[in-house]
Amino acid sequence: MTNGWVDMKNTDMMLIMGGNPAENHPCGFKWPVEAKRTRNAKIISVDPRFTRTSAVADLFCQIRAGTDIAFLGGVVRYAIENNRIAKDYLVNYTNAAFIVKGDFKLPADTDGVFSGFDAKSQSYDKSTWNYAGTAGGDAAHAASGSAPPAPKLPEKVEFDLTLQNPNCVFQLLRKHYSRYTPEMVERITGIPREQFLKAADLFTSIRKDGDMKKAGTIIYAVGWTQHTFGTQIIRTAAMLQLLLGNVGRAGGGVNALRGHSNIQGATDMAGIFDNLPGYLKVPTPADTSFDAWIKRITPTSSKPAPWDSFNYWGNTPKFAASYLKALFGDAATKQNGFAFDYLPKVDRNYSWVQLWDDMYNGVVKGMLAFGMNGVAIGPDSQKNIDALKKADWLVVGEIYPDETSEFWKSPGITQGEMKQIQTTVYRLPCAGFAEKDGSFTNSARWLLWKNTALPTPGDARLDQAIVAQIFLKVRELYKKDGGKFPDPILNLTWNYTVPTSPSLTEVLKEVNGKALADLEDPATKQQIKAGQQLPGFAWLKDDGTTSCGNWIYCGSFTEAGNQTARRDPSDPSNLGLHPGWGWSWPANRRVLYNRASCDADGKPWDPTRKQVWWNETTQKWVGNDVPDFKVDSKPKDHMGPFIMNPEGVGRIFAPLGAFADGPFPEHYEPIESPIDNPLHPAQTHNPVVKRFKTPDDKYATPKDGYTVVCTTYRLTELYHYWTKNNPMNVQLVPEPFVEISAQMADEMGIKGGEKVKVSSIRGEYIAKAMVTKRIKSMMIDGKKVYQIGIPIHQGYRGIKEDEGKDARTLVNLLTPTVFDPNAYTPEFKGFLVKLERA
Amino acid sequence: MSQAILRVQKISGHAGSVPGEGTQREYTVCKLIDTTTCIGCKACEVACMEWNDLPFGETVFDNTYQTMPETRWNYWNLILFNEHVREEDGSLMWLMRKNQCMHCAEPGCLAACPADGAIVQYTNGIVDFQQANCIGCGYCITGCPFDIPKMNPKTHRVFKCTLCTDRVSEGLEPACIKSCPTGCLHFGSKDDMLDLAGKRAKQLREHSNFPHAGVYDPPGVGGTGVIYVLHDATKPEIYGGLPSDPHVPWTVKLWKGPLKWLGNVAMVGGLIGLFVHYLRFGPKAREEEDINPSGGKP
Amino acid sequence: MNKSEQILPHGHLLRYALKERLTHWVAAGAYIYLLMTGLAFWSPWLFWVAVIFGGAPVSRMLHPWAGLIFFAAVWYMYVMWAPQMKHTDVDKAWWKAVRYYSTNQDDKMPPAGRYNAGQKFLFWGFFWSAVALLASGVVLWFPEYIPWNLRFLRYISILIHPAAALFTIGLFLIHVYMGVFAERGAFGSVIRGDVSIAFAKRYHPGWYKEIVGESSTPRK
Repeated sequence: MTNGWVDMKNTDMMLIMGGNPAENHPCGFKWPVEAKRTRNAKIISVDPRFTRTSAVADLFCQIRAGTDIAFLGGVVRYAIENNRIAKDYLVNYTNAAFIVKGDFKLPADTDGVFSGFDAKSQSYDKSTWNYAGTAGGDAAHAASGSAPPAPKLPEKVEFDLTLQNPNCVFQLLRKHYSRYTPEMVERITGIPREQFLKAADLFTSIRKDGDMKKAGTIIYAVGWTQHTFGTQIIRTAAMLQLLLGNVGRAGGGVNALRGHSNIQGATDMAGIFDNLPGYLKVPTPADTSFDAWIKRITPTSSKPAPWDSFNYWGNTPKFAASYLKALFGDAATKQNGFAFDYLPKVDRNYSWVQLWDDMYNGVVKGMLAFGMNGVAIGPDSQKNIDALKKADWLVVGEIYPDETSEFWKSPGITQGEMKQIQTTVYRLPCAGFAEKDGSFTNSARWLLWKNTALPTPGDARLDQAIVAQIFLKVRELYKKDGGKFPDPILNLTWNYTVPTSPSLTEVLKEVNGKALADLEDPATKQQIKAGQQLPGFAWLKDDGTTSCGNWIYCGSFTEAGNQTARRDPSDPSNLGLHPGWGWSWPANRRVLYNRASCDADGKPWDPTRKQVWWNETTQKWVGNDVPDFKVDSKPKDHMGPFIMNPEGVGRIFAPLGAFADGPFPEHYEPIESPIDNPLHPAQTHNPVVKRFKTPDDKYATPKDGYTVVCTTYRLTELYHYWTKNNPMNVQLVPEPFVEISAQMADEMGIKGGEKVKVSSIRGEYIAKAMVTKRIKSMMIDGKKVYQIGIPIHQGYRGIKEDEGKDARTLVNLLTPTVFDPNAYTPEFKGFLVKLERA
Repeated sequence: MSQAILRVQKISGHAGSVPGEGTQREYTVCKLIDTTTCIGCKACEVACMEWNDLPFGETVFDNTYQTMPETRWNYWNLILFNEHVREEDGSLMWLMRKNQCMHCAEPGCLAACPADGAIVQYTNGIVDFQQANCIGCGYCITGCPFDIPKMNPKTHRVFKCTLCTDRVSEGLEPACIKSCPTGCLHFGSKDDMLDLAGKRAKQLREHSNFPHAGVYDPPGVGGTGVIYVLHDATKPEIYGGLPSDPHVPWTVKLWKGPLKWLGNVAMVGGLIGLFVHYLRFGPKAREEEDINPSGGKP
Repeated sequence: MNKSEQILPHGHLLRYALKERLTHWVAAGAYIYLLMTGLAFWSPWLFWVAVIFGGAPVSRMLHPWAGLIFFAAVWYMYVMWAPQMKHTDVDKAWWKAVRYYSTNQDDKMPPAGRYNAGQKFLFWGFFWSAVALLASGVVLWFPEYIPWNLRFLRYISILIHPAAALFTIGLFLIHVYMGVFAERGAFGSVIRGDVSIAFAKRYHPGWYKEIVGESSTPRK
């Protein structure tokens, strides 16, 4: 989230889309409700079904799963056409005025793809996706020798503050989305034109007549991410928010709701293979040295010449050096590039779906599965089951026996087949969440320490104890037997009081980082002695005198103690900042980009919601929140508020390699879709999305008889694949079900409670029908299309499953193995099925 | 259920005075349920089961998100889900109403109950069942206009929401209130809750598309200790059959009122009448010989 | 009527056969239990009665079963006596003269048969009340199984049951008064079955004639 849960109480308008917070984040949903109660804020709910969020919304639109970009693009068009945009914000805080290179082409002009597409490799040459300007990219190109280096952003960007230049970002934006007319939105999304216009009008009404006081927020969850264009949906939302001047504002922002208690923390700590902690980019084999790596991943500022840019990622060398010092301690020296060679180099895609594909193809031989139920969380569960059959070993750390650890007796496997499976399965009983301490990082980026509530039962052990004992054993083996490259293992720092079960307090201290030599701030003369905890990432050094496991968490465990354990509920500003409650990254800042909450002169857009402001007397940025800015940068210097971008401004146009599939989001159909893309039928799908090739990877078209759009989701009553082992949750939702519209049920003669079989080209799912008015049939591009929804929670291992009372099928038997090319998230939310009586 | 230290102002099936009546400054507790902000998350259902240690029961999928068709003797708090199409514009509403004992000021269950002390009303307005005194007659089921008391078929004792008497007597809010994530549930004095509810209803009328929003505090049962804010107070029935004008059934009133007095008078009057008749007329044949001709007159 | 089933004292007639007396006392026993426990549920002032009968929960548990026994007995009475309980012209006259009956001027009464009109009223009163009590009693026995949309059944029952019971109480009081206090010999007749000829002549002359007419050797 750019903002935070509590901040939602400050909003005037909420677009909740690709998420169902009332059901899946009920505790956080108190804040949208608070905004409704105290500010008369409005909720617009856009969802494939009428959900419990829709039940408390002011306006509901039923959208076809996977057409969110069309909807949002339509709203962008509406905002521009009706002048419901934040003009000053747009000109000063975004790249709307930047001029794009002349050879850049939009999909409207290039058969549904952006310029630079190579159909053979299904990838883009992104060199045209760049700003016009001087130095930077071209200079670098000339200087280098044989190998063509990656193009870079120009140092001085051409711009047009009148936004009239036909190649300025704003005009390109307008041109690109001019095709997303209400009629087109209706054809693609199935939302009737009038209903769409109502929603577009309501959401943009906060900028009626140029008023900048109000703020609107966009709230989403995995309904957006789990598509083959998920990242681009979120991009569209971000662009819309920039257009409306909502980013950085209290009650504004683009807010991802995290479905698990610590998903944000997992992401921050390198949850994805191409990240290191703190979103440092992983080294690749081309990075031959620390310096080469740093050069590649450290951006240089790129902006209009009269403006200033903080370019905070310019500090990358400090973050990277301190990270390596935390990993390898004394073995990391300036001379050896901070033991850069010890870091694994990532040569290709190792994302989740890819790993299972690798196991299926015999490349991956074994798996440690902790805190996840790999078979059930799919996609294409059958492929995952088949992959595990080919593995040599599987270790599952869980609190219940789950589908993954019992893949060898999944329904359909015969006794004979079972004997053929040679995979050795080890089940390790783990501690549950209440049996562990540690910190959770919530959706709002708040780190909150929790204590152990219960002792671990029986033989169950803490995760860190299991990992530590495996590590120590491996290290022992390397010590004894040597090996190809034992150094990274032997030199890894492991300075815990109890090495076999590291205390998480010690781990957090290590993550926060400490001074390795006496340090002094040249400005304030504040001193930090060697060995002391660092108070914040501003202290990090690139010379090896600091260590820090994750720079964005620096400040979470200081000399003052564990900041994440703070529980001061006070909120002097009444903006829901609660600065003494836990600790928020970065630097205990609660709303990101909060410089943008002020006009160019540094005065808050809305004086009743003052977050930060420029203090003329002290010549400093001050505020209720921690300013997300260079504190002494004068407004007249025109430093951009989006300090993490080299431009200093928000990116309406995302240049170069920022995204795999285009600098502007374009609507593409899900891989399985009932229609051809009405925008460009020849290019229906996201052009860079690759399909997998194992016999288990099948993809259907309506011609194969799969005509019903299916989406999957979660229920309030159950938590993932876990609580089906708890009688309380099972009592609330005793059986799996499939939600189908009353019209469809009438047509097929299905009554509520009757068993139906949902089949995709990959598998079958059997459950009882829930016939409801909450899903309606839709007209999609002139075709009548039915949409159904299935909650994901049941499987073949749980209370009811063990009783044999349901069909014991997994929803993800249906879903396809394809993923988003940017975030590698699989497509769970829109695919084709057929439905019949079971 | 609980034996909390609360003073009692009404007792079922009770002869004579009530110990707690008039012994305490009067204040009435009240639960406010704002159905317009309820998200049907069922936290209140779970909290109710957890706090009261209620046993788990079997449920069956029934084409709804609702946990079960109605409350049970061991499931006192149930959110009712109803899909409703608005007549005004054809738009869909998914109504969720937390259903439980309404804690009526004039409780029909208590009126109907013949067992001394099986149902009491504390001075704070909570209506509580004392299963130790319950005789299992089920008259409370008949007396309740909200279909709340439920019989345990094994023990023949009736159970329902206690408004967490044990918590309230210790100055805590009921478990459901504590668990509600959106703040659609509030707890406090009846006056405060009515005030809050009225303001919310006004807000809904003025700022949302609900011109008929209002507060449900039915006078037919003297007002309730659980009040609702409804999107459309003119149609409480759409919320899973919330009665628009609930009363203690008139037959119960007739039975407990006029019939009781009439019956008592008739019975006592009959006994007296017969006694007087005997004094006046005596037996039909005074002399033994009148009916026994084999004997002679002395 | 089979008079040979028991030996009667001299000058006595058999009024109630054994099965009639047994049925009567089964009904009476059940009724008294129902009355006592019912009164306990009727009024808090009489709740203590239930305590005597083993406590209110036990009373609540057994009351319906006693009700079934009572109804079975009443039903059997109906089988036995219904033909004799038909309303006749004599009964009409009897009702017209009922004030003489109530003031012990029995000689001014039209000649009653085996049962006078009052007794017939008692019989039918009890019979129909028993039917009403059974019907409403079943509902009250299992109120938890009456669906909400049939709740009017509970509402009616909760009124009919006490109303019918009150009516039977009235009948019962008169019945006991007549049988125990007012008509000497009546109580004995339902114990041992016999009444004196004088009793028969005085209260049921029609019946007496019938018996005598039947008898080849009148006892005298």
